[in-house]
Amino acid sequence: MTGKPTRQPKYLRLLPDSSAGLFLTEGLLTGEDDVKSIQLDGEAQPLPEEKRFRWDGVRDLLEDAMYEFGETRTAADAWLAPRLHATLRLTRVEAADPGLWNYLALGVAPDYVHWRHNPSGERPAEPTAPVPAERFKGPHYKQAFARLWWTAELFRDGPDYTPVVTACGIQDILNFAIRLEVMDHRPTAQAVVRLLTDGTVRTGRETNALAAAVNAAASTLFLDALAPDVDRNPTDIRAWSDGAEDAMPVNRRILPGGPDEERTPKESVEILAEQFRELFDEAPVRGSRPVQSGD
Amino acid sequence: MKIYPYPRLRAATTITIDSASVTAPGVPREPLAASARSVIDRVLGLGTAETQGWDAAVIKVSATVPESALRHDAPWSDLAVFALLTEGATNTRLTARLAPTADDPCHWTGQLGLARADIFDRARLSAQVVATVDGVPGRLVGESEDDWFIDVTADVPVRDRPFETVRHSFAEGPYWLRRMKDVPWVVDPAGKLPTVHINTDVEGIEALLDADGRGMEGAVGELLAAQMASDIWLAVFHAALGDLELDERERPMFPSGWRGAVLREMLPDILPEQSLETALRALNERRVGATGWTDIQPRIHYAAARRGGTGSPLIQAVRGLERLRREDDE
Repeated sequence: MTGKPTRQPKYLRLLPDSSAGLFLTEGLLTGEDDVKSIQLDGEAQPLPEEKRFRWDGVRDLLEDAMYEFGETRTAADAWLAPRLHATLRLTRVEAADPGLWNYLALGVAPDYVHWRHNPSGERPAEPTAPVPAERFKGPHYKQAFARLWWTAELFRDGPDYTPVVTACGIQDILNFAIRLEVMDHRPTAQAVVRLLTDGTVRTGRETNALAAAVNAAASTLFLDALAPDVDRNPTDIRAWSDGAEDAMPVNRRILPGGPDEERTPKESVEILAEQFRELFDEAPVRGSRPVQSGD
Repeated sequence: MKIYPYPRLRAATTITIDSASVTAPGVPREPLAASARSVIDRVLGLGTAETQGWDAAVIKVSATVPESALRHDAPWSDLAVFALLTEGATNTRLTARLAPTADDPCHWTGQLGLARADIFDRARLSAQVVATVDGVPGRLVGESEDDWFIDVTADVPVRDRPFETVRHSFAEGPYWLRRMKDVPWVVDPAGKLPTVHINTDVEGIEALLDADGRGMEGAVGELLAAQMASDIWLAVFHAALGDLELDERERPMFPSGWRGAVLREMLPDILPEQSLETALRALNERRVGATGWTDIQPRIHYAAARRGGTGSPLIQAVRGLERLRREDDE
């Protein structure tokens, strides 16, 4: 069974796509083999020796997630997303490098990828269908850890991870909504969470319908004009990564704080939430209301 | 063409970058020279900055809207112009509201601040024209067609970047290359830019590739380079097509970066007389569907070979051989 890597270096590394592909063997995907972690380490490139890149810091966090959520794996997403974000303290440029995510999946916790994305769910010991390779090496909305980090990044409200927890409670946000460019606009993402929080939108299907409606609306409406956001401050971004040197490991019980950036302007979120509510009222939801013809 | 349920601008809006500067903590702001921008290629290369470790940039932009946008009988009101900067890899989306200049109401200016930590490679800059139409505020009534790119590392502002070339020993190089040590080159289309790895273990290959110009070596070197270029085009094409994302109606979308550029460039040679969108859809259907993938291969091969430019170096090499034979005869 795929387990914890035997090679446990002090710091994380980067494993480029061209190298990562070699380790995605059938035996790994079905969970029969371990990753050849010594070879993998030789293949990977070093990251700066900073505290936020400590190998055991991330490994401990993932082991705690597996321990805590043994019976309810999908629920681990909402717990892990903010904590992974607050542990790694990445800039967007760092997070855009697939090498880091490949390394986390293959060099730090292939057992986590299996545990979380095993298609047969609760019976990991059975001979199983393989975990899709894109959970190890794939686009940001599929890869096991990139999807969590990006959801946290796009849905946090400045230092507040509460909206991330709400967003991760609905798998369709992780699977569909974070793919949409329209969610890159912070007030839009916050307004969607607002509708999840106040109970306007409840199920996965409803969330998908809302996201699709918002996405369609954004092709004729410039949401940034209706709901302006504040500018990002480069000093805040730097302070966040630098602050990792003095930070404690993230709290496992209470929600950690995120980058100390300005929050989304309230009025902007309210304007869009109101608009999205109207859109959602008219949006066809699969399986619940009759879909209008011609849609 | 998209159909909109409300009136829009018919004439084009343009956007341009007027100047740029970078800052780093504790050092004075560095304005970039005009050579950091290429107006023809519409690229700003922030890699031209001399400030080490700059962490923020300010970009002054101006946009020109057509006169019809401002006519008093125009079917909209509250006209506003925005600069929009986006990058797919970082999911970055920044906007700046522009203001009309005093002497020319069609000319709008403003500035956009960006953090270095928010742009991985290249961001796209466009102008968005927004107005209240039929009582609906925030309608998009126009956008610029010729967008700019802001490249955070380029030290020369050019749009089309050459492929990267790395020369190294395959036997001693990265692990994945070691298994391929018996070939002269390998193309790797993963990553920011496609890379061709040249195997320096193949004796003489470097000399051939570096032999510019005349002589038999030059001719063979050019032939080799052209062959490599065709291989690259073929590899990047398949990589780009294999990575397509689908929109909410399950239709393939043009990818960002070089992948999109490669598809746009090659599709007209593969499925001529079709719009790019239709061609992409048709090709994707052939690739994932039951039939049609095999019989399109010659067209793909043709498009790649054409871009590689294999034809004329081949003729040159043949002529060179012919001359050598003649010299031997004499």
